Amino acid sequence: MEIKREDILHLADLSNFAISDAEAKSLEKDLGGIIKYISQLDELDTENVEPTYQVFEMENVWREDEILPQEADREALLALTKEEKDNQIKVPKVL
Amino acid sequence: MKYVSTIGIECHVQLKTKTKLFSEVDNDARGKEPNSCVSPVDYALPGMLPRLNGEAIRMAILAGRAMNCEINPESRFDRKHYFYPDSPKGYQITQFYQPIIGAGYVELPSGTKVRIEHAHLEGDAGKLTHFDSYSLVDLNRVDTPLIEIVSMPDIHSAKDAHDYCKELWRLMRFANVTYGDLYNGNMRFDVNISLAPEDSQELGTRAEVKNLNSFRSVERAVEYEIKRQTKLLEAGKKVVQETRGWSDDTGETTGQRSKEEAKDYRYMPEPDLPPVRLSTEFIEAESAKLPLMPADYRQKFKDVIADEILEILLDYPELASKLGEIDQKYVKNIANLFTSVLLAEEKSAEYLNTLPTANDLNELAEMNSKKELSSTATKEVFLRLFDPQMKGHGTRQIAKELGVIQENDLGALEKIVNTVLAKPETQKAQSDFKAGEEKVIGFLVGQVMKESHGKANPSAVQEILRKKLS
Repeated sequence: MEIKREDILHLADLSNFAISDAEAKSLEKDLGGIIKYISQLDELDTENVEPTYQVFEMENVWREDEILPQEADREALLALTKEEKDNQIKVPKVL
Repeated sequence: MKYVSTIGIECHVQLKTKTKLFSEVDNDARGKEPNSCVSPVDYALPGMLPRLNGEAIRMAILAGRAMNCEINPESRFDRKHYFYPDSPKGYQITQFYQPIIGAGYVELPSGTKVRIEHAHLEGDAGKLTHFDSYSLVDLNRVDTPLIEIVSMPDIHSAKDAHDYCKELWRLMRFANVTYGDLYNGNMRFDVNISLAPEDSQELGTRAEVKNLNSFRSVERAVEYEIKRQTKLLEAGKKVVQETRGWSDDTGETTGQRSKEEAKDYRYMPEPDLPPVRLSTEFIEAESAKLPLMPADYRQKFKDVIADEILEILLDYPELASKLGEIDQKYVKNIANLFTSVLLAEEKSAEYLNTLPTANDLNELAEMNSKKELSSTATKEVFLRLFDPQMKGHGTRQIAKELGVIQENDLGALEKIVNTVLAKPETQKAQSDFKAGEEKVIGFLVGQVMKESHGKANPSAVQEILRKKLS
């Protein structure tokens, strides 16, 4: 699979990243290399192999449905945001 | 040309677990301050690990069984990526490849069956409020557990769309997995509608109306879309595949501009959550906890309660369940008290949570059937059974305190009748009645009632009077 400039721009758009031409060019090359490297796996025959979703072989890790006090309160969390108003996170208008 | 509509509905149901799907934070944000029910997990701070709420799995099993669905022994979570301020993670944790709930069906009161394709667990998004130049984000709703129920396109009218949504609401409330408060968005519906010529083998192009939050809106939106799409097709135009918004005020759907037409969610397995594997024993043990469903009550009460009354009662799981405890011979009477007296009360919503015991209700119906209580007195005593001051006293005691128990003892009644007949002021009425003036019997009954301080059973009194004056 070849990575084209439009793929980079599409991904940037989906992730809401503004990238310059120079960055796009460099990413095109880097991502192309990564995909090529990973693509070596395509040489293997995985016809009868179960896909691996995770490597710890754990299952049913559930917790009790009990409310626990949180270490970080609203003020601490809101303090992490760029701008707040009326205890809410203020963002540029979206629709 | 005649067109046939084909409708499929996706429904999001918020589960009423105590905590969120992936964090130990209060899941009930009703009436709470914005961003007061949040944790670093909801904020998606680096290094945070989601931990699955076992209760959500149990509720999903109940919800699935309520819709006659298979429960899949193995299910997993996936990340669905999108960029929007309602999701600090930048993705929603959902079940794309292996949902917990498999195929099933929902039967509408009309008998129509709507097949369920599957249903899956996922986390809800935060809430945005839009202002002129900015938007505000409240993350209280982030990762409230949701079940998304996907129907097959088995619905063909606005009425069936309405009935399907309502039946889902009932099933989820009877299964006790959601508060089911539509006004607060506990259940939301996305409706896909397409039209095709009657004899066509293929489905037409569909439009999706998103985020409807009442059965009535679903019905009206479908009616509107059928009209809109018929008009387009009749004019030789094409229906555009798109997402449309609904306005309750204008009664119209409008196309929503979307930048990314082809959706690109880049689904990938959620590496932070190990798969869910359910043993047959576990599924069976949890399924056994499913209470009676509306269909069971329809079966149980079909010969006792009129359909219209029963369908009203089925909007209230508390009432249906209480009726299940009532003596079969009194069910009809109590059902009528529920619909005509209780539901007419201003505080009926509160009353639903403090229903009288089955014993008290059985006794009330028994006293009524033995004519110890007139129908008016029955209603009066019934309402007192909700009175915090009186309810503990028991039906008979309350009736005594109110002094409304009717005198049915014929010997005692006859004495009172004799007293009244001996009074000078009743002599004329007596002779008038004997002379054939039928209606004065009312006056005489009234006198006896007065003498008995309202406790005599009027029909018994009338019988005695007629015997004596014949």
